[in-house]
Amino acid sequence: MWKGGYNTANEDLYKELSDAVVSCKKDIVLAAVENARGKLDAPDIIENGLSAGMNEVGIMFERGKLFLPHVMMAAGAMQAGVDLLKDEMPDTATSGKGTIVNGTVEGDVHDIGKSIVSTMLQSSGFVVHDIGRDVPIMDFINKVKETNADMVGVSALMTTTLGGQKDVIAALEEEGLRDKVKVMVGGAPATDSWARKIGADCYAENASEAVNKAKELLL
Amino acid sequence: MAKEYFLRMGDGEKIFMTKEQILADLQDGSADAADLASVPALSDDDMDKILEIMINPNRIVGVEPGMEVPVTHDIGAIRIDGDQGNSGVGIPSSRLVGSMMHERAFGADTMELGHIDYSFKPAKPVISQECQTMESCQQNMIIPMLYGAMPNMGLYYTPDGPFENPGDLMKAFKIEEAQASMFHAAEHGIRDMVWINQRLFKVGSDGTNFDTIGAAGDGDMYASLNAIEALRKEFPNMYIEAGMAGELVLGLHGELEYDGTVLAGLWPHEQVKLIEKAGANIFGPVSNTNTSKSSAWNLARSVTFTKATVESSSIPCHVNMGMGVDGVPMLETPPIDAVTRASKAMVEVAGVDGI
Repeated sequence: MWKGGYNTANEDLYKELSDAVVSCKKDIVLAAVENARGKLDAPDIIENGLSAGMNEVGIMFERGKLFLPHVMMAAGAMQAGVDLLKDEMPDTATSGKGTIVNGTVEGDVHDIGKSIVSTMLQSSGFVVHDIGRDVPIMDFINKVKETNADMVGVSALMTTTLGGQKDVIAALEEEGLRDKVKVMVGGAPATDSWARKIGADCYAENASEAVNKAKELLL
Repeated sequence: MAKEYFLRMGDGEKIFMTKEQILADLQDGSADAADLASVPALSDDDMDKILEIMINPNRIVGVEPGMEVPVTHDIGAIRIDGDQGNSGVGIPSSRLVGSMMHERAFGADTMELGHIDYSFKPAKPVISQECQTMESCQQNMIIPMLYGAMPNMGLYYTPDGPFENPGDLMKAFKIEEAQASMFHAAEHGIRDMVWINQRLFKVGSDGTNFDTIGAAGDGDMYASLNAIEALRKEFPNMYIEAGMAGELVLGLHGELEYDGTVLAGLWPHEQVKLIEKAGANIFGPVSNTNTSKSSAWNLARSVTFTKATVESSSIPCHVNMGMGVDGVPMLETPPIDAVTRASKAMVEVAGVDGI
């Protein structure tokens, strides 16, 4: 069976997957993923179907067409779809693309955006250690040491927790790890200029950009 | 050098712009509203009229003779007495005296009695005092005297109320629990708003003003619409004014409906249709002021929203010309140059029925 690449049939499947995420309904997303399985590769389903839908949700959120509960339901539905594809993901342990520790800073319980970034990085071939949300600074450091990570992703969704990204970088410097590890920051209040100000290596606005930036820095 | 005119930013800062710059901002502001709400942008004639208003050399402007509209004053009863950082002037006076001054000295066409907390929920334990004061006002005044308060559903959530705060629940990804909490709070809000107005109407109140509907999102709007519907059924002659908190009903719940219409994401010209259905007599449209944009941009944007609302409404629209809304800068006591310009544009271009 031919998989990948663009043709009309694939575009129809991408659209079905994307529309399913925009519907914010878990059962519709699961049905769309089931339908696409076997016709598209798992990373293709995630990147060109589900993630495209999440981007559309983001645009509709900015335009006042969808609201926070919708975004959360859509993200939850997408995550359920991604979970369904877990066994079909590339074997990242031997991919050699690099190891990334990813987490949300201490005091910040936001998880969904960071989890989507982890999934997208994993589906792109990186070995990802998602250490969750509300993570103490030293847990980032310890995990970097334990996994000999090449990159650390630090997420913060609130202006009050944004400073945690700077603290993680300072801790990496104190531990003598900063030169060995790239730092990516993200989250609603983070910006390119903030990333430069705190000495991060890059800022990613969304999951797709996170993958591209990780490839640029690690490959 | 091109002549520059005195305007303000949305935060009240004085700025100077050329006629061309003002016109460009008017066009951008109107286009923004038209794009967001899918309503028509202002015509060239409308833009020219607003431009003329903006560059008028006088500090205060007024409507043309024959275009005067009724004005009322929310919580004006305590505006004279208030001195706690609000826009009151700190002259000791009762709410009756404050209301009578607005009627007899300031030319208010209607007034409302408001509690210092200005929300329905905290009016419950002092309902006897509210009824007593309403009765005194009615005995001493001629103009219609309403009771006014905010639905303010935020007071029903922890730490101020019995229901778990949806914000906290959503942070923990408990979306269904957050939605259930909003629904339960709305049910209590409806009961309270109806109960309070039943008592006030029995002592002679002419009606009620639901002020800042939607301040706590679509749950707030849901409660207000259902309370209005219940009051209209029980009191066919009650005068009900329904004013909004902002231009867009925020979907904190996301799926609440009234009469088959999802409340989240409604713009003013859509909100008014539900307010009509619920049974209100007057709609108070609101659009938000952007503090980083000029008064020209903000006013054209607000007039665009409001004009579309007036055109789609079959009940009178009394626009809210308070701080930070409808082209008025975000200042505790907004500058009179900006307030009068925005008011004139609302009457003469948007066609509002009152302020």
